[in-house]
Amino acid sequence: MSVWSEAAMIIPTMLGGDWWEITQSLRTSGAWITGTVATLLGGLLIAFIYAAVPFIDRHFERTIMVYSYLGIAVIIFVEVIRRFVFSLQAPWSTTVPPVLFLFMAWVGCSYNIRLRTHLAFNEFRMNMPRKMQFACLTLDAVLWLGFCIIIVVTGMRVTANAADNFQILEGTDNIMKWWFLISLPIAFMMMAGRVIENWYEDYRNLKSGAPLISQAVIGGDA
Amino acid sequence: MTDATIITAISLGVTFLFMLGVPVFLIIGYWVIGTSFVLGQTLDNVGAELSNVFVKGFALLAMPLFILTGDLINKSGIARRLSDFAYSILGWLRGGLAMAAIGACGLFAAISGSNSATTATIGSMLHPEMIKGGYDERFSAATAAAGGTVGIIIPPSIIFIVYGYLMGLSISDLFIAGIVPGALMVLAMMFAAWIICTINGWGYLIPLRLGRILKTAFGAWLGFFAIGLVLYGIYTGKFSPTEAAAVTVGFCVIVGLICYPLNRIMHNHGSDTPVDEKSFRDMAVVEGFKLTEVPSITMRSAQITGILAPLIGISVVMQQNMSLLGAQAVIGNFVISMGGFYAVLFTAMAIVFVAGMVLESLPVTIILAPILAPIAASVGVDPVHFAVIFLVGASIGFITPPYGLNLYVASGVTGVPYFRLLKYIVPYLVALVFVWFLVALVPSLSLMLLPN
Repeated sequence: MSVWSEAAMIIPTMLGGDWWEITQSLRTSGAWITGTVATLLGGLLIAFIYAAVPFIDRHFERTIMVYSYLGIAVIIFVEVIRRFVFSLQAPWSTTVPPVLFLFMAWVGCSYNIRLRTHLAFNEFRMNMPRKMQFACLTLDAVLWLGFCIIIVVTGMRVTANAADNFQILEGTDNIMKWWFLISLPIAFMMMAGRVIENWYEDYRNLKSGAPLISQAVIGGDA
Repeated sequence: MTDATIITAISLGVTFLFMLGVPVFLIIGYWVIGTSFVLGQTLDNVGAELSNVFVKGFALLAMPLFILTGDLINKSGIARRLSDFAYSILGWLRGGLAMAAIGACGLFAAISGSNSATTATIGSMLHPEMIKGGYDERFSAATAAAGGTVGIIIPPSIIFIVYGYLMGLSISDLFIAGIVPGALMVLAMMFAAWIICTINGWGYLIPLRLGRILKTAFGAWLGFFAIGLVLYGIYTGKFSPTEAAAVTVGFCVIVGLICYPLNRIMHNHGSDTPVDEKSFRDMAVVEGFKLTEVPSITMRSAQITGILAPLIGISVVMQQNMSLLGAQAVIGNFVISMGGFYAVLFTAMAIVFVAGMVLESLPVTIILAPILAPIAASVGVDPVHFAVIFLVGASIGFITPPYGLNLYVASGVTGVPYFRLLKYIVPYLVALVFVWFLVALVPSLSLMLLPN
């Protein structure tokens, strides 16, 4: 089977819902083609949604981050108190918080792309001419997109594998692990959306003469 | 082309990208991808590890929670009370406000686990007052940056959590081992501040009054209680560091929510009112916050976690690849070839120092600790002692250019350009390096408080 046929088979296989077949199809080289197209189109769609609905643009990631964070704190805090007072502790209290952390970490990564607050050594870039600055920003975008494609494909493989093996979240009876693991490829698709959104903004700034790079403030938009 | 040549080319390539300002996460990510190809490894490992690091890392949860405690004690007004207390004790000395800023960093660090949160909180709180007090703005910003370094040495500390998690050491033991070195760092930086301020005649003096000290100590009681809560949990082993962090978060939220209405009912003065104009009654409760403010406070912490957590994830994969490439053996042989105990120790310290100049402390720890710690152990350095040596060095990396995170944070919160504050970082750097060597040469400074 050619790589293009493998790529073409992935979406119908996924729609079929058989995890063993999905796992097999994602292991093929064609998964990279489908993954690239899916990440770019998904990113474009997300960027379009963000542009069309500013409320989502502003609040979607923040809501996930904040409530995952508070969920972690509340679960552990309540369970410590329960253990001290009632000598009881739910078995899932040590397994659910880490998967909430998984959500928070990668959605937070996406949010920081939007705010351009990921740690970077910007001193040279800030003193470059505008066209060079735009080239650097474009380079960032290309590198982010490339990385997003890799993680969307490999993250989906990990997710499909967990689903195929009926992995249950430790400490629970019927909560499937892949429900949480899929957050990784989804978050990287959201990152692709943010990258596209940022690059378009940079392009408009280049054309309008607005500053291209400004000092990022961590926590400035909190 | 040999594998070694390709790996060198990859490493030089990502270094070039770093200089161009590409985010550190991508720098490490592309190094990992490049070396995975050289190793003939599937990239699936990258996707798997970026999930597994978090899904299997309950101990890592202490990191976001101790970041959150920092923002909660800041917003609730507890941090302000701690800094008032520090100033009432140190204000009679020349440069007292600068020393108080460093002391406040130490107290703040005893509740929060983050260096950048410490710098941001104390810097934004005390920088305007230092400017009013006649201090040079560059010195003020440098003080906030340097003071923040103790944020990760005085327990709790997010970097100790990562180190303990990676190296299989008791995080509680590491926390306890950080207490004395952290206190020494505070004292050394205070001494440096005193010398600079005495030479330049900066700052005005306030009289040392017992009444004021007692009042501010009383006002900081909630902060002391939170510090006691953390230390109690760590010392007694009643709860793990992650649970201690969650309990402290819970405590700070409850305090904030109770104090907010109480403060209004009691018609207390706000934080802008000078301490001398406040009564003991005013000092009994802090300002607190409303329930509706909790999400925005959490958001700030979540944003910082969204920067650091992905770095941890990708650095773990980088460390695995370095191990497969045999970097451990190369660096190990180099360090061992230096000679005996002291030569190995000082070579390891030099490597940490140089790495800290160009990398963030998390990647430095994740990459170098698994390489250097076994070598140090092989020449007889206690693992907990080495952890403290390593992490004091990593904390110094926060203020060493070109890549000193605290310098960026201090620059961001004070508005003093990055390059301008470098001049006044040097005295603090000297003081910290002195403490670093002291900690390295006197193991009991780290180990004396550990339970037998």
